Amino acid sequence: MRLLVQYTAQLRTAVEKAEEEFELEGRSSLATLLARVASRLQAEATRHLLTPAGRLQPSLMVVLNSQVVSTREAESVLVKAGDVVTLMPPIAGG
Amino acid sequence: MPELPELSADERSRYEWQLWVRGFGETGQRRLKATTVFVSRIGGVGGTVAMQLAAAGVGRLILAHAGELRLNDMNRQMLMSTDAVGEPRIAAAARRLREINPHVVVETISENVDETNAHRLTVGADVIVSAAPLFEERLQMNRQAVRRRVPLVDCSMYDLEARLLTVVPGHTPCLSCLIPESPPNWKREFPVFGAVASTIGSLAAMEVIKLAAGLGEPPKGRLLNLDLGSLTFASIAVARRADCPECASTLAPF
Repeated sequence: MRLLVQYTAQLRTAVEKAEEEFELEGRSSLATLLARVASRLQAEATRHLLTPAGRLQPSLMVVLNSQVVSTREAESVLVKAGDVVTLMPPIAGG
Repeated sequence: MPELPELSADERSRYEWQLWVRGFGETGQRRLKATTVFVSRIGGVGGTVAMQLAAAGVGRLILAHAGELRLNDMNRQMLMSTDAVGEPRIAAAARRLREINPHVVVETISENVDETNAHRLTVGADVIVSAAPLFEERLQMNRQAVRRRVPLVDCSMYDLEARLLTVVPGHTPCLSCLIPESPPNWKREFPVFGAVASTIGSLAAMEVIKLAAGLGEPPKGRLLNLDLGSLTFASIAVARRADCPECASTLAPF
């Protein structure tokens, strides 16, 4: 199944693209998708997604079809064909 | 509840166009006049918030920001002028705000928010506006807002993107629900246009006016995400964290 991953803010800058498609096996979890995304990224981009220990950054907002999903629930949330997953690193004022 | 302050003839004339706004009127204006708003910091975002709130006739502005105005602030600093570069920015901001609207009480604090002063600085605020570039400051303002049960309007930006979150303690997720800790990769200085800062600052000011006057609906439990590159605005549903260290104990059961 095909899903669309959108990159925002620092992640978009590091990846140098706004979005890309991913192909997953059926009945995959959000965690599986995020692991696939991480495996495709360069180190500069990966650090916005993962901690040095390889866990998801606690302050990364993961939006599944217009709803923020807790990264701690990523294992239990299933994704489906056509889903749009937006990755939003935290940003600030200035 | 204390009686709302009266409007002078000068104020009725000054605010005439917004007094025509449906659902606002003289009562809304008087509510706004009765409102104290704390804003930190006073950069491109916070400066725009302060400027819009002053023009709209908020009663009292408390502005907090340490340090001097720098030349590389000026691409996004609509509140101040080039001849103030090198001066304490808070003084330049207050001067311009009083020029915009002498009816507004402007108080300045040459400090940035931190763990030791957050409580003291935000005393008396009816609404807190978080426009700081450091997450520690934003999370401290969030903590004060939740503890005092006053709304927080949090603004952020990067490149051509900006976000707005309105926290109504007891009713919505708080900033800590979304950002539980300071991210390790954040850089204090980042790419952005002044137009992006002004856009999100103006949206934040409108949220404050709505909250103060009881106008419209705050986006409860929604994060507004603006991508000005594609001119796309997205309203994203955000959820409370059951174990949020700041707001979980203040909220009604899930």
